[in-house]
Amino acid sequence: MSQCTLRNVRFAGMATCVPKRVFHNIDDAPPAIRSERERLCRNIGIYTRRLCPDWQTFSDLAFEATEKLLADLKWNKADIDALIIVGQSPDYLTPATAIILQDRLQLPQTTIAYDVNLGCSGYPFGLHLVGSMIASGAIKKGLLLVGDRAGEEKDPLFSDAGTVTALEFDPNAPPMHFDLNSDGSGHKAIILPVGGHREPVEISHLVGRRDEGGYWRFGTDLVLDGPAVLSFSTQRVPPAVESLLSHVGMSKDEIDFFVFHQANKMINETIRKKLRLPEEKVPSTLRDFGNTSGASLPVTMTARMRDALAQGKKRVLLCGFGIGLSWGTAIVDIDSGVFPALIEA
Amino acid sequence: MVTIEQFIEQFLAAVDFQDPVEVKADTKLLDLPEWDSLAALATIVLFDTEYGKVIVGPDIAKCVTVGDLYALMG
Repeated sequence: MSQCTLRNVRFAGMATCVPKRVFHNIDDAPPAIRSERERLCRNIGIYTRRLCPDWQTFSDLAFEATEKLLADLKWNKADIDALIIVGQSPDYLTPATAIILQDRLQLPQTTIAYDVNLGCSGYPFGLHLVGSMIASGAIKKGLLLVGDRAGEEKDPLFSDAGTVTALEFDPNAPPMHFDLNSDGSGHKAIILPVGGHREPVEISHLVGRRDEGGYWRFGTDLVLDGPAVLSFSTQRVPPAVESLLSHVGMSKDEIDFFVFHQANKMINETIRKKLRLPEEKVPSTLRDFGNTSGASLPVTMTARMRDALAQGKKRVLLCGFGIGLSWGTAIVDIDSGVFPALIEA
Repeated sequence: MVTIEQFIEQFLAAVDFQDPVEVKADTKLLDLPEWDSLAALATIVLFDTEYGKVIVGPDIAKCVTVGDLYALMG
């Protein structure tokens, strides 16, 4: 399957929660690397990030977002049929965090709850998964929780966020269109190589070394092949967007907002220019919130588009891409949705 | 066709070094103090957006001088 359309699925609302703690990529970096950081920040476009304190997890953020959204929607918790988490920051390696949240949120035990392991690309895939349950008639109301606790002080890209999207059955809902893709040949481009069964953690992985900035690096750290990720993103995303538009017979003028995963400025600007999109149609939260992994589409919608989304029907194109490698695009019409203001916890 | 002089100008704008540096065709990339992974990414973007030419990390890794990068335009 490459492209498909889901019917009878209404986008009811969305809420986003970020940690209160603001980390400044330049001022909070060790003095020895600040000059280098200035150049880096100019080019990746990321100046501040939100980082969880030690005690806080992705599920804590998603919990706050979900409680707020359900209250604002005035949805009865007993009516929730599914809670799906798309992310890579579980509370424990097992059991699934979605099941823990079923209890914490006091959702009924009839709730379908499980986790899906996708990162930056995850939002359109999650929308498709919960949307498919609804479109099939299997469930009426579903919650999609997307995000990660991926930020670390030493890494200037990633930032933490938890989000929730509410979807419900509605025979009058406009169709949602999808283009979803996977390329496992690129699985080493972004990888946490240690800690799974291929390479379990050994003592040698835990022996750190200090880098030039004084930050400790370990064998258990995420490995990211910058040029490979850049090439993947800028070569695969623009044709996928064009392909979905062509498939559904829409022009770019018919889309109100193009929301892309917030990877870094270099990647996002290249994608925008290749698609010849005007800046005002492509909102960005890189400067203030960095790369919030799969949460970056909801973070951007909440922080930059909330007022516009409250002013009547909007057609948005949502595109996520990254670890996997995996990339997905959705076209969604949003009308009368509930969008609480950004939550800080 | 972009000349080597024009290329060097566009290359320096793309890599956005903090400290100004003189670059000629025979300047070795590894002799540039700020030639790093960010500069390599910027070079890939420059080729893609300005010259319509797709290059990848290993293409850059084979280049010794700025002139070698210029030759990637083919």
